[in-house]
Amino acid sequence: MSDAAIEFGRRIPRTMRLSVAASPSLIRWTLRIVTTLLFGAATVFGISLGMSAPDISPTPVVRGHVAPPDL
Amino acid sequence: MKRSWIKKGRPPRFTATGVLALVWLGAVLAVLQGFASNGPPSRVDASLVSHVTGMAAGYSAAVMLILMSRSPWLERDIGADRLGRWHAWGGPVVIMLTGLHALAAVEAWAEARSIDLTAAAKDLLEIPGLTTASVGTVILMLVGLASLRSVRRRISYEQWHFLHLLAYLAVGFGFVHQLAGPDLTGRRWLQIAWSLLYTYAFALVLRWRVLQPLFQLWRHRLRVEDVRQESPDVISVLMSGQHLDELRAQPGQFFRWRFLTATTWRSAYPFSLSAAPTCNRLRITVKVRGEGTRRIFNIPVGTLVFAEGPYGVLTTRRRRRPRVLLIAGGVGITPMRALFEVIDLPGKDVTLVYRASCERDLVFKDELDEIAERSGARVVYLVGPSTDEANDMSAPALNRLVGDLSNHDVYLCASPRLAARVRESLRDRGFPRHQLHEERFSF
Repeated sequence: MSDAAIEFGRRIPRTMRLSVAASPSLIRWTLRIVTTLLFGAATVFGISLGMSAPDISPTPVVRGHVAPPDL
Repeated sequence: MKRSWIKKGRPPRFTATGVLALVWLGAVLAVLQGFASNGPPSRVDASLVSHVTGMAAGYSAAVMLILMSRSPWLERDIGADRLGRWHAWGGPVVIMLTGLHALAAVEAWAEARSIDLTAAAKDLLEIPGLTTASVGTVILMLVGLASLRSVRRRISYEQWHFLHLLAYLAVGFGFVHQLAGPDLTGRRWLQIAWSLLYTYAFALVLRWRVLQPLFQLWRHRLRVEDVRQESPDVISVLMSGQHLDELRAQPGQFFRWRFLTATTWRSAYPFSLSAAPTCNRLRITVKVRGEGTRRIFNIPVGTLVFAEGPYGVLTTRRRRRPRVLLIAGGVGITPMRALFEVIDLPGKDVTLVYRASCERDLVFKDELDEIAERSGARVVYLVGPSTDEANDMSAPALNRLVGDLSNHDVYLCASPRLAARVRESLRDRGFPRHQLHEERFSF
């Protein structure tokens, strides 16, 4: 770090330095948002997986009848 | 009149009965779908068994993931020990259902195509998705094998734990086959619901078993501050960190600790707090049980600690009666020591019974005596062979010791054998189940 940068850092008032520290409430809200985003992504991913799943099974073992595996 | 949960500050979200009812309802629906997709059942054959066991195995594998996701709602309201017991019961069921499904599917394929079992197995392995599902099945079988008591005794906790983690991979491998299986294909809503069951299960695991401990590592920067010998085979590890009050840990709770050294980072050990947590310090106490715990004895000061938790319901929140009896056996003293320090009752209403096989095994004696002297509570040491009448821990003996036992909440933490003995004796004497609080876990 250059002398100027160090000097600049020293000039930041203490109250301002404190304000950028993560408060418990900010942390709590960040975690809540992360959780919401994660489950939002899981919802979108789950729906798209379900929508793109095959319509016909490659393993249709139904009593007395077997469709060829290449169906 | 206020309800009990109002006093606790939040309503219980889940009850064990409610969660079990939901799990069983889902299982019934999954099995019914297995029946439905097989057509009207006229007789039990390999095809029907394959469909039903496949649906049941797929469903219960997702349920196992959810139960062991360490979600705080489940851990807080159901309790880690009960979830662990459900998992110990459900895990083998999943493995058996998966194995049965695989065998029945091969048999059904062989019957339908009039070929032998080897040719049928070869046919099936060539079908897309079934190779990975088969690998998943083999992994599950290995996990089951490693958990058999006779095998479990011969392998280290670390090896067993590593194999157990592979079960996630096995479940993931099976998912593709399930989604394309004959029970779900052609039913779009079912496929979406099934996918959501799995993506939510994995999201829960990711959120609470991966992201949360990583976040805690960053936020609290927990490090080993001191390692102190309590007895020849028991040590206390004092850890310091930042903002520890945000963890909201309570005496009686435990964490899963992963000490980040070259030899110990792979294993997470469940240990209770042995002192009330402060905003910058946590303490645990560990007894040597195997190679893994022996390594903790040599952890250098300054080691970073990856902590999952807090977990457990053995806290003062559970208290309902005006008096408290704490029963500790051996190293089970650790959560009891922490609880003994903070129970907010007049001293005469709190009794700690501490059982040890010899004087040398008593840990925290000075601390316990000091707390007792300060608060006016009573500590009773029962030292020596269990055949000695003075060391009787049956319900009548405990009743004689504390007076009116029915007016007590009993907190119990001891070796599985001693805990079972005390529990059974209390139940035989009609001691209310909801007044007995214990956390049973072992590894």
